Amino acid sequence: MAIKFEQVGYDYPGFNKESYSALSDINVEINDKGEFITLIGETGSGKSTLVQHMNALIKPTRGSVTVYGIKIEKDINKKGKKVKLNPLRQKVGLVFQFPEYQLFEETVERDIIFGPKNFGVSEEDAKIRAKEVIKLVGLDESYLQRSPFNLSGGEKKRVSIAGILAMEPDILVLDEPTSGLDPKGRDDLLKLFTDIHEKLNNTVIIITHDMNTVYQYSSRVLVMNKSELVFDGSAIDLFTKENIQKWNLDLPEILQITKQLEEKLGIKIQKAPRDIDELFHQLKEVL
Amino acid sequence: MKSIIIGQYLPGTSLLYRMDPRSKLYILFILMVTAFTIQEFPVMVGLLVVVLLSLQIGGISIKRVIRGLKPVLVLLMFTFSFQIMFIKTGPQLVDETLILTSYNILLVVGIVVFWYMTKKYVPSKFLYFLLTVVGIIVLLSTVHTPGANLLQTNLTIYTDGVMNAVFIMTRLIIIITLSTMLTLTTKPTDLNLGLEQMLKPLKYIKVNSEDIAMIISLALRYIPTLLDEANKIMLAQASRGVDFSEGKMKDKVMQIISLLVPMFIISFKRSDDLANAMETRNFVPRQKRTRLHVLTWHTIDTVMITISLLLMSSSIAWAIIS
Amino acid sequence: MSLIEIKNLSFSYLEDSPTLQNVSLSIQKGEWVSILGHNGSGKSTLSKLIIGLLKADEGEIIVDGVTLTEETVNEVRKKIGIVFQNPDNQFVGVTVEDDIAFGMENLCFERSDMLSKIVEYATKVNMADYLKKEPHALSGGQKQRVAIAGILAMNTDIIIFDEATSMLDPKGRDQMMEYIKSLKDQGVTIITITHDMKEAILSDKIIILKEGEVLASGETKTIMNDKVLLNKSNLELLLPLKLLYMMDEANIKNEKVHDILWQLSLNK
Repeated sequence: MAIKFEQVGYDYPGFNKESYSALSDINVEINDKGEFITLIGETGSGKSTLVQHMNALIKPTRGSVTVYGIKIEKDINKKGKKVKLNPLRQKVGLVFQFPEYQLFEETVERDIIFGPKNFGVSEEDAKIRAKEVIKLVGLDESYLQRSPFNLSGGEKKRVSIAGILAMEPDILVLDEPTSGLDPKGRDDLLKLFTDIHEKLNNTVIIITHDMNTVYQYSSRVLVMNKSELVFDGSAIDLFTKENIQKWNLDLPEILQITKQLEEKLGIKIQKAPRDIDELFHQLKEVL
Repeated sequence: MKSIIIGQYLPGTSLLYRMDPRSKLYILFILMVTAFTIQEFPVMVGLLVVVLLSLQIGGISIKRVIRGLKPVLVLLMFTFSFQIMFIKTGPQLVDETLILTSYNILLVVGIVVFWYMTKKYVPSKFLYFLLTVVGIIVLLSTVHTPGANLLQTNLTIYTDGVMNAVFIMTRLIIIITLSTMLTLTTKPTDLNLGLEQMLKPLKYIKVNSEDIAMIISLALRYIPTLLDEANKIMLAQASRGVDFSEGKMKDKVMQIISLLVPMFIISFKRSDDLANAMETRNFVPRQKRTRLHVLTWHTIDTVMITISLLLMSSSIAWAIIS
Repeated sequence: MSLIEIKNLSFSYLEDSPTLQNVSLSIQKGEWVSILGHNGSGKSTLSKLIIGLLKADEGEIIVDGVTLTEETVNEVRKKIGIVFQNPDNQFVGVTVEDDIAFGMENLCFERSDMLSKIVEYATKVNMADYLKKEPHALSGGQKQRVAIAGILAMNTDIIIFDEATSMLDPKGRDQMMEYIKSLKDQGVTIITITHDMKEAILSDKIIILKEGEVLASGETKTIMNDKVLLNKSNLELLLPLKLLYMMDEANIKNEKVHDILWQLSLNK
């Protein structure tokens, strides 16, 4: 288990448990191979706070988070020697929402190698990684010498994601990576993540509000509601067996259509369709 | 995240809160001038008493004022010691020979180490520090033997030195207390409004006070937002391996650049967007605008200004006469 | 006569790549028009031109009888308000009430007038309890609502929403669309600039922009029925509509299903 949350609670500084807990009694384990997880929940449910524990940006107020063998607790530094948490950030790569705002170097190449160099990778090796990673995000090598500030919004997003990929993290965490993109941009980026996931067989965790993304791409879904982890399972189970309305969530579009058709036609679609082609075939059979 | 309308401001209902910010600014200026025209010690003490009385009337706790003095503590100490050491007139108070010997140097080091280790447990760190310094001086003047002399110096303190030091310190304390009273009882937005009115005459030297007030108002509006964004950028860069808590000089420079460049980029985009938003809402610089918030001058403001002017003129008169 | 008339508008940021070419369209009073297109189709440029933030290279913009020129730009801005994409970068006031007042102050409204309008329009957007709150304590959706209140308070009844929901979460987006619907019911003329088909179909009329040109313009239902057009536009089709087209192609004729899917396409 690469990451293990045990009874983790988190209160923002200045608040006590009664007034504002961002996380309550979280227990979850995450492997560093092969998982494609989506983390969903209303705004304010604690998703961002949860992932910031995964790369030790935040320490839990209660309980412990064990990341690659290092146990992180509230009093981690008081028991004598200072524990170095920085190396964990190379293993668990976190990409924030609107990552284009973290770009600051003169050239795309220099920005991409910034991360790896901070973790001790030599300049030459980092440059080699930059060449690989720029292609991985769908841009060609000529971008390396350009200024990051002359790129379009979508290109900037890709460059900043490349900067994290160049660190070669085992676990990639993305906080609402498709915010602000148009539908085509969104699809392109999600396809990118699935390609990377397939190629490297790493673990990808995506925070999203888009139920369609959740349904289409994830093998495992974590649902946060009012600081608690209320569901950990497959997308199909979530959308067919749980009452998601109590968590203020909607069904993915394809299942909404299926439900409407079932209700208004008085029919029953046997198997929840994965995509529109499946729905079409099932509908054809019923009619 | 702290609200910027608060800042140093604490809500309240006393007299000071009901006064127009303009009159408070005028009074601050008048009383500062008064403090600098006073020549004699008893008169300065009198002014201090007046200030302390207004704290009472204004319902401001002494604790807050002392907190306002903390930043300038070093300045106060420096001024005090400077006056004491360099003014050598009047009857002598202290004449001690301080000798550092190879024996008492160990004791001095011991005291310093003890102070360093125990200071976190003491409520008033400043007083503890003073006590330690006095203790070392007493040690150096009394315990001379045994051991060889390493350093020797004479410490002489004269009455005038002490009087001057206390005089100047009192003046500084008065001025800082008055400023703290202003910021504790006046919202930054109200101060801005007051300044805008008061600085109108600057238009004769081609400085437009409305432009300045708009700039300050926008700055006040965006400070909390910028702090939030800076925090987010720090987290993002920390996720790329930047360790803000450690690092040599060269690293520190890189850390700061990785924070500042994105902040600048965000701010430039923001200025562009904001200018567009303001223009499309019919904002035209230098054109006449009405205001939602207006300042109203009350009788109490005139009364307080009159009192302060009387204080100032009597102190100037007294200074001239004596 | 149309409320807004745009004739042969052309604009380019750079010499040889035109952002907008020969765009013509008209908007009637009380209509809700969506200008739909990908990023880079020129739609944001169009809204900036209408509000006078950019000057067209060629063509004319006429708002409520007034032709937009450098001299008349302030007059036009009294007739049209615009809500931008970034909720933080258009919030001027130190508090909610200050921000709502900003436009009125610029137009020299009387103080008593401003005070009553602030309460009136803050209540209309459900922000009456937040008048003294500062922007950093508000959500994106709340800030956008304050922007709407500020525009309405200036007695403006044409509002452009320039991708005003793209930085909001789904709840915020839904709420905004509800507010826009109620504005339309109150007679406000609305222009939404968007890349989201789901938002566009809520409006009366859709204008599709592609690479700086008007690809199509017409009533929402008509556009939705035009399969060839939608394909050409490269826009993401809504799922119910896709399913409908799939059934048509496979020659499955079921009226009831057809109706249901059609309704779903227009409602969602």
